[in-house]
Amino acid sequence: MKKTTIGGTKRKVTNILAMLGLIIIFIAYMFPFIMVVINSLKQKRDIIKSPFSWLFTIKGLSFDNFVKAYTQMDFLNAFKNSLIVTVSATVLVTLLAAMLAYYIVRHNNGISKLTFGLMVASMIIPFQAIMIPLVSIYGGTLNLLNHRITLIFLHTGFSMAMSVFMFHGFIKGNVPMALEEAAYIDGCTHSQTFFKIVLPLLKPIISTMVILNSLAFWNDFLLPSLVLTDKKLLTLPLSTYSFYGTYSADYGTIMAGLLLCVVPILVLYVALQKQIIGGVVAGAVK
Amino acid sequence: MRNKNNGKDFCMFALPGMFCFFAVVIVPFIYGVYLTFTDWNGVAQVKNFVGFKNFGGVVKDGQFWTSLLLTFKYVIFVVIIVNVLAFAIAYLLTRGMKGENFFRAGFFTPNLIGGIVLGYIWQFVFSRVFVSIGESTGWKLFEVSWLSDPTNAFIALVVVSVWQLSGYMILIYVAGFMGLSEDVMEAASIDGASGFVKLKSIIMPLMMSSITICLFLTLSRAFMVYDVNLSLTAGAPYGTTEMAAMHVYEKAFTSRQFGVGQSEALILFIIVACISGIQVYLTKRQEVEA
Amino acid sequence: MRKKVMARVVSSVLVTALTVTMLTGCRFGFASDPDDPNEEEKKVPIDTSTDTFEYDASLNGTNITLLNTKAEIQVALEEMGAEYEKKSGVHVEVMPVSDDSPYTKMISLYNSGNPPTIAILDTTDVIALAEEKAVDLTDEKWIAEAEGYTTELNGKIYSFPLCIEGRGIIYNKAVIEKALGETFDPASVTTLDEFKALLDRLVDKGIEKPVSMAKEDWSLGAHHLQYIYETYDGTSTGAQEAVEEIKAGKLDLASYKRMSEFLDIFDVLKEYNVAKGDPLGADYDEMAIDLADGKTAFWFNGNWAWPNLSEAGAEETDEYGFLPYFMNNDKNDFANQMIQGAPSKQVMVDRQIATEKEQAAGKQFLSWMVYSEIGQQMMVKTCNIIPPFKNNPYEPADPLSRDLYEKVHEGKAFSASVIVPNDHWAVLGAAMQKYLAGRSDRDELIKSIQDYWAEQE
Repeated sequence: MKKTTIGGTKRKVTNILAMLGLIIIFIAYMFPFIMVVINSLKQKRDIIKSPFSWLFTIKGLSFDNFVKAYTQMDFLNAFKNSLIVTVSATVLVTLLAAMLAYYIVRHNNGISKLTFGLMVASMIIPFQAIMIPLVSIYGGTLNLLNHRITLIFLHTGFSMAMSVFMFHGFIKGNVPMALEEAAYIDGCTHSQTFFKIVLPLLKPIISTMVILNSLAFWNDFLLPSLVLTDKKLLTLPLSTYSFYGTYSADYGTIMAGLLLCVVPILVLYVALQKQIIGGVVAGAVK
Repeated sequence: MRNKNNGKDFCMFALPGMFCFFAVVIVPFIYGVYLTFTDWNGVAQVKNFVGFKNFGGVVKDGQFWTSLLLTFKYVIFVVIIVNVLAFAIAYLLTRGMKGENFFRAGFFTPNLIGGIVLGYIWQFVFSRVFVSIGESTGWKLFEVSWLSDPTNAFIALVVVSVWQLSGYMILIYVAGFMGLSEDVMEAASIDGASGFVKLKSIIMPLMMSSITICLFLTLSRAFMVYDVNLSLTAGAPYGTTEMAAMHVYEKAFTSRQFGVGQSEALILFIIVACISGIQVYLTKRQEVEA
Repeated sequence: MRKKVMARVVSSVLVTALTVTMLTGCRFGFASDPDDPNEEEKKVPIDTSTDTFEYDASLNGTNITLLNTKAEIQVALEEMGAEYEKKSGVHVEVMPVSDDSPYTKMISLYNSGNPPTIAILDTTDVIALAEEKAVDLTDEKWIAEAEGYTTELNGKIYSFPLCIEGRGIIYNKAVIEKALGETFDPASVTTLDEFKALLDRLVDKGIEKPVSMAKEDWSLGAHHLQYIYETYDGTSTGAQEAVEEIKAGKLDLASYKRMSEFLDIFDVLKEYNVAKGDPLGADYDEMAIDLADGKTAFWFNGNWAWPNLSEAGAEETDEYGFLPYFMNNDKNDFANQMIQGAPSKQVMVDRQIATEKEQAAGKQFLSWMVYSEIGQQMMVKTCNIIPPFKNNPYEPADPLSRDLYEKVHEGKAFSASVIVPNDHWAVLGAAMQKYLAGRSDRDELIKSIQDYWAEQE
């Protein structure tokens, strides 16, 4: 843990002010989420008429929405599907991107430059622009849709550019060449150096990327909806389709469904916080 | 990494990632570019080559250019506010303050709410919360829903985008601050550098790679804004808040002009690519290697 | 360390709460409240004892897919598919469309080489796709039962009309009677002035703003504005003619009678709008609640609004119904006597990818909905829709559909469907929003409509 820096009263005042400002912003940030939690326990009518009324003053407050969401979503099956897809794609993209980024940083050749340039540019492609070509190629031509593995592959491909970009920035800024050179002198091969020396140094960025990527995969709706139509394969966001009507939506159930979907991500986030905080890098540099 | 075994290194480190990327993103993109030169409407079984006819349609589509202009305005606000806010919050959250983890978890929550719920909740805030505050206080600002006035609806879009994007950028800045070696920070304090000097001459240069990334991400995401636009305002009131990405989508699928929509997407892509290319070039020059 | 524990505690409390909920399904509060709108809806029993439909035995074992774009009947369709499978041996997989637009979904499914055998679509989508992709249904037997409700495309029929939907000014009879202290006969209102007088009386009796109107572009751009085409002469041919003439510049909207009449009633609705202070801030779900609670007495909408009203606490025994969209003060004008009731969803069968057998199984499913006793019942009772087929003897249960059903059978509904470009509702819906908000006048609105049509090829 870091120590707070030494200082006088002035510093303390600034600290308190900063803290105060932070708390206000914090509440603003949390507000929508709190609204979701409160309203997930209410009937639709109460959600619309009195969205802010505190929980216990409302009649008919119940966990019904959760029960309904749970059954209608076929929660356990959808959870399993989401878990398989998210974990596989996250592991795959994190590993491949770290390796590719490492290659690019350490080999400043034409291929590196071209690939990196293309990747940076590709992050700006609007998904809608490649949506139809994508299904034509993977569905119409290759006939690979409706398989989990296809979805995992596509997720990996789509998040590759950003992951490489992030790893690239981090490796460049935070991984000193000196450590690797020492490893080579000790007789390590390239892959040994990477897995034993470099990878542990990447922990903060790996944790960040694991959170960002798994969040994206876990919550994505559009891509899975293009790839999966078989009911047995539906992921969590896809399985909430029945809560949305043409003219109106079942808000209570949607919010309950949303909470059921995000809890695993919250847990993951809290768990990985420790990793980020571990601050391995500081130690390694010495 | 030395230059020996270069081919083996390439196959092992670079190839798998590159394959995924090219197969999933680049190939469909090239196919998509090809489609802009055809009269294909999305469903027909034949595609005829029509040259630049679709791009002629883009030039004639006045609404596209209007939405593009609006998008520029939006991007400027969003990029600046998001980065200043996220940087400041991330800085405060990595100084070993009390309740740091709790705060971080809280600032993470915007990432958890997406899609229609996001739009609904915020519509709530702008149409109900603010209006009821307006009713009880008599403040003119909150008298009517922000979403029914073009200027206020635009501000509402910026507010929600800032809320959502900064949640994401905080994560990246936090990782960046955690990556800074403690020695640097401590040395700076012992040298007696004041807050501002410390920030400008020590922290900023070291954080430059995070800044590059965050600027780039906010820039591209703000240009591509679609979900928030659709779920919060859907272009309302009367089409005044329709951003470029949403317009492109509407053009291709609602107006059924697939070729023109696809061409507009390509033009949008080129514009954003140029702008963020310049940004990455400029900020990368400021980076220092560890 | 305390902080970490704190964050941990917060998340574990959440997780535990959720887990407990999942496992026990417990509820607290006054959950058995009789007004509870979320209460399990009672299943309407389907009598499956008689079934004289002749199934084609050779189709046994075929698998077909059905794309559903009418989200509110998703569960009902699944039940119907299961019942059909029991009888015919054909498995029907019902695919939903949620976020995407139906058309986008169809494009992506066709491009993925995986299109649905049969698809429930909007009329404009069928027209865009049919000639290229759909089976010609012109010779199907059920065409005769749906006279006046089928859609022709160059002399051929490619689609099956799934249901009739009607719209008008929905009233809540109990609210009006309570306010006025006398019985209310909807038939007594026959002109715009009479309607206005009724509104004024309600205002006097304390219902300050008796009308709800949606700000959504589909409501304004399609359901309101399209009256100018539909009331041309009350037929689909006439409506199409009006569109062609406006497009060709032969019909000048500035002097077109129906245009100014439409704006007259629109102005009345606008004036008495409960959200008059901020018409674009109105909330759709709240409108249903306001009407059910009696804060308002009227809501411009269609029979699809019933689920919303029901959720808001309305009962099937309550008296809700439709008033016509009064265009003027001529009692004999059909527009003041009838409400609009037209086929809304169309079903097409794929011919590009589906095999002969799958096509036949799909067509058989359509006939089954029309001719089998089970299909007939399920259309009305399970899906809660009004089928356009004359031979279906079942009557709908909810008050709005019942009123529409009666009006259709008494000749008090006109069916004038107009085919407009797909972005009509979005583009002109925006122009209507501007007018509703008081940010544009009649001339500007008329000009945007004319400009829109001038751009069409």
